[in-house]
Amino acid sequence: MGKIVFILSFMSLCLFAEELSTQEQSVEQNCLNCHQQQQIPSSLIHRRYLMKYSTAKRMEKAIFAYLKHPDKARSIMPSAFFSKFPMKEATTVDDSTLRKYIQNYLETFDIKKKLVLEK
Amino acid sequence: MLSSEKRSLIRFLLIYLASTFLLFSFASWIFYSSAKHHLLDQQRETLKYEAEHIKSQLRALHRSNAEVLYYPKSKNIRSAIYDLDKAYIFGTFKTKQILDEHTGGNILYYIAKIEPYYLGAAYLLTAKEIDFKPIENLQKNILFFMFAAGIFFSILGYFLGRLFVAPMRDSIEQMNHFIQDTTHELNTPISTILTNIEMIETFGKHEENSSELKRIEIASKTLSRIYDDLTYLNLNHHYHRRVITLNISDLLKERIVYFSAMAEAKGLKVTIDITQDVILQMDKNDAVRLIDNIISNAIKYNKPKGILYIILTNDAFIVKDEGIGIRAKDLSTILQRFKRANKSEGGFGIGLDIVDQVVRNYGFDLQIKSQEGKGTEVMVKWEK
Repeated sequence: MGKIVFILSFMSLCLFAEELSTQEQSVEQNCLNCHQQQQIPSSLIHRRYLMKYSTAKRMEKAIFAYLKHPDKARSIMPSAFFSKFPMKEATTVDDSTLRKYIQNYLETFDIKKKLVLEK
Repeated sequence: MLSSEKRSLIRFLLIYLASTFLLFSFASWIFYSSAKHHLLDQQRETLKYEAEHIKSQLRALHRSNAEVLYYPKSKNIRSAIYDLDKAYIFGTFKTKQILDEHTGGNILYYIAKIEPYYLGAAYLLTAKEIDFKPIENLQKNILFFMFAAGIFFSILGYFLGRLFVAPMRDSIEQMNHFIQDTTHELNTPISTILTNIEMIETFGKHEENSSELKRIEIASKTLSRIYDDLTYLNLNHHYHRRVITLNISDLLKERIVYFSAMAEAKGLKVTIDITQDVILQMDKNDAVRLIDNIISNAIKYNKPKGILYIILTNDAFIVKDEGIGIRAKDLSTILQRFKRANKSEGGFGIGLDIVDQVVRNYGFDLQIKSQEGKGTEVMVKWEK
């Protein structure tokens, strides 16, 4: 019985890890690669969102809104930014997948993970 | 100092000091609250300063690209950052504190808003332990002030009280002097009258004017008793008592004979029940004053042709009358000097005061029962 439980747990963990890994790869392919090519640091974008919206939920909402309908008003970047870079096109990714991508992005750059107490 | 003067002074001091104490306590409490608030505000300023310092460090951390971000720490100050939804982000608190908790126990809290939200933090909570030393010093100073003020106002109150009771003391002293002088002047004529009446009675020249002579005798004895009472009161403190083995039964019989003319004049029926040879260790003058005052009151306030009961047992001396009685509200003050519950009869209101003094001197117990309109019973128990 114990063995069965162990095997089932191990299998579900593997599946979950695989799914996470697939999601990370998709974020990498669909979002971060493009930012890297255009030399726009993703961490910087994350900090800008964090500084304006404070919580993950609010950030997710703002990023989602921008990606769906990109314009200057919804963007976190200053308007001068768009004189150098073109406005990105609206995403074709479905809502559910997009939300997962955003959550993954926020998770990747979560600043709480970096905070430690000095000894 | 007279006892009434002392009583008035104590009452004045109690009222004066109690009201002063209340007033000062109230003022001190207001001052203490305000000063304590000010001291805590001063300590909160330290928190404000530290919060500003932490904020600037958070801004630097927000811009840092380092892999590890060290959260700013301050000596004796604990802090934590919260997001816009007031959810805990990070901090030096061991437990995640509730952001709305401003003060609690010995901890002083200060919440600073952060704008823009560096590291996502919208609120910074700083806390430190309250330094109670300045507050304790404040309490000590206030207590010392209250103590010093208490001493000052006690002394001031004492002198003010003496000043206020001075007119009363002067009046009482004047009255005492007057009584002293009057009694002195009365002594010789009263003695002369009584001696002469006795001579007339002895040599049998009084048959023709016996009723007139009786009235003169009663009036003279009344005067003589008033003289004795006043002298007793005046000399009470300086009077040297000679306590002897006294046969109260014999003495009482003598005094009943002395009062017989008065009782007869009022038509009283005197019922006597005296136990033989009741012996007490007493000064004779004290015993005479005790018996005379109780009997004379009972005769004076009895109704005409009423009954006067005089009872002496080994335990007590009881005198009952069927007179006007004493109102219930006057019973508690009837023993005070110059107090007269009923002014229908003459007198100075010193009789029961003398009785009370004698009773207290010898440790007896005095009980007065009275019903208005029905009569009074005075009982002196030899043992308490």
